[in-house]
Amino acid sequence: MSATKINKNDLDHIAKLARIDLTESEKETFLPQLESVIEYFDVLNKVNTDGVEPTFRVNEQSNVLRQDEVKESLSVEDALSGASRTKDNYFVVTRTIKNGE
Amino acid sequence: MDFTKLTINQLRQGLVDKKFTATNIVEFFLDRIKTIDPQIKAFITITDKIALNQAKIIDEKIKNGKEIGKLAGSIMAVKDIFLTKDIETTASSQVLKGYIPKYSSTVYQKLIDQDAICIGKTNTDPFAFGGSTENSGYFTTKNPYDLTRIPGGSSGGSAAALAAGLCTFALGTDTGGSIRLPASLCGVSGLKPTYGLNSRFGITAMASSFDCPGVFTNFVQDLAILTNITAGLDLHDATSSANPIPDYQSLLNKVDLKGLKIGLPKEYFTDDINPEVKDSVMTAAKVFEKRGAKLIEVSLPSTDLGIAVYYILVPSEISANMARYEGIRFGQSITDSTDIISYYMATRGAFMEPEVKRRIMIGTYALSSGYYDAYYTKAAKVRTLIKKEFTDVLSQVDVILAPVSSTTAWKIGEKASDPLKMYLVDAYTVCVNVAGIPSVALPCGFDSKDLPIGFQLIGNFFEESKILSIAHQYQQSTDYHLQKPKL
Repeated sequence: MSATKINKNDLDHIAKLARIDLTESEKETFLPQLESVIEYFDVLNKVNTDGVEPTFRVNEQSNVLRQDEVKESLSVEDALSGASRTKDNYFVVTRTIKNGE
Repeated sequence: MDFTKLTINQLRQGLVDKKFTATNIVEFFLDRIKTIDPQIKAFITITDKIALNQAKIIDEKIKNGKEIGKLAGSIMAVKDIFLTKDIETTASSQVLKGYIPKYSSTVYQKLIDQDAICIGKTNTDPFAFGGSTENSGYFTTKNPYDLTRIPGGSSGGSAAALAAGLCTFALGTDTGGSIRLPASLCGVSGLKPTYGLNSRFGITAMASSFDCPGVFTNFVQDLAILTNITAGLDLHDATSSANPIPDYQSLLNKVDLKGLKIGLPKEYFTDDINPEVKDSVMTAAKVFEKRGAKLIEVSLPSTDLGIAVYYILVPSEISANMARYEGIRFGQSITDSTDIISYYMATRGAFMEPEVKRRIMIGTYALSSGYYDAYYTKAAKVRTLIKKEFTDVLSQVDVILAPVSSTTAWKIGEKASDPLKMYLVDAYTVCVNVAGIPSVALPCGFDSKDLPIGFQLIGNFFEESKILSIAHQYQQSTDYHLQKPKL
């Protein structure tokens, strides 16, 4: 990790990976902001972490298992109640395969 | 009667002794909200009808000689990232505008089951991303001590509601300081418990290995009562702890201050800190010294790495957690797209607030191909170092005492345009979250502008009973927690 700069292409790439449409003015605002935050991360370069195990969770738990029992849960109606579009007890989504694919 | 001054136990006892009714209490707080909240803007939703109805049920129980819950008579304000069945839950983001959950978060439900009365949902930074409430998709909450200043965040609406006397206690979450910072800047008490003590189920997820639900109160005794109710294993949250929960309330006087070893980490008392804040926190330390405690300088050398570690790991987890907001199952959406990818992008682009987008993008970058090891894995390794420093120091001293914020409440707008500047306000809170240990914040004075100052007591894993006992004894010797803003 060295003093990494991000450019407009990187920003477009990240926004696409993150599935967020950005306007031109948002890009102009975000680019220097993200740049300064990411540059700030360089402070970690000076730390020697040879032989240090990473911590992904702070408690000592590993796999937490339970019995596979049927329990009361949300009704279909409740589970669908927040959806913008539904049909016949399903969520309706926009076309996932483009014409001609 | 001024119900804002009463503790949870006093409110309940008053009901039992028939000095007043739950309806009296609710009407009193609704009146206050009506006059005071338009200036403070702590609430996003006021649940007046639900509150009056809950009060009626409690009053009926008493009338019929039935058992009432431990929290009967207490008025609760709920940060709007806690799902509340049949009550709109926006997470202070346009993304979830109009979302009515069909189930409740575990912590909220446990409190309701003890007859706490929900009076409303409070403003926060969207999905708890921020330290001032200025990122909210609706409005900025004002500090009750100075309406031109921020209340701190992200749980700023909850802290401001309590400081302004609009509830008995309030719910918050602390992922990087979001309970302790606003508690400190608004002059109230708040507990960030050990990771896993309180269930995260039913709370909009920010960073799953950091998020800690907790409470704000006026009195440490009330923190103890509430934590006894909220804590414990929840089968809906695999990371919730199965440890037995001690009776915090009965242990409030257990820790003997005489001979208690209090560590003052030198990295938290540098020249970066406002001198008035430093003086006030040192004065708090002296209160313990006067009662026989030993003040010992300790060192947490990786403190200045906390922000970098936090703002790599947390946005990484955010970028994954926020993937669920695609506009299909809940929330607002742009429906005129021709294919699914542009549907996602248009919906997320249209409704996510700027800070939500920034954090998702920082996380996406840190986890992206070619950068993963340099950022995410590196930060996770430094997390190990920070955690070890805390547990090492806490094997030499009983508790760590430190400031919460280097300054008192700042002006609205002062840091809003510079995300990095805003991130740095968490410098004294994030390391505790990186490590996963508990910390209680409580008021210890005022600066020359009459703005509240707070300090925190940090303990080792699951040492809530110890830090609450020490904090309680501080409140027995001082009256900062009884002082309230003039409104």
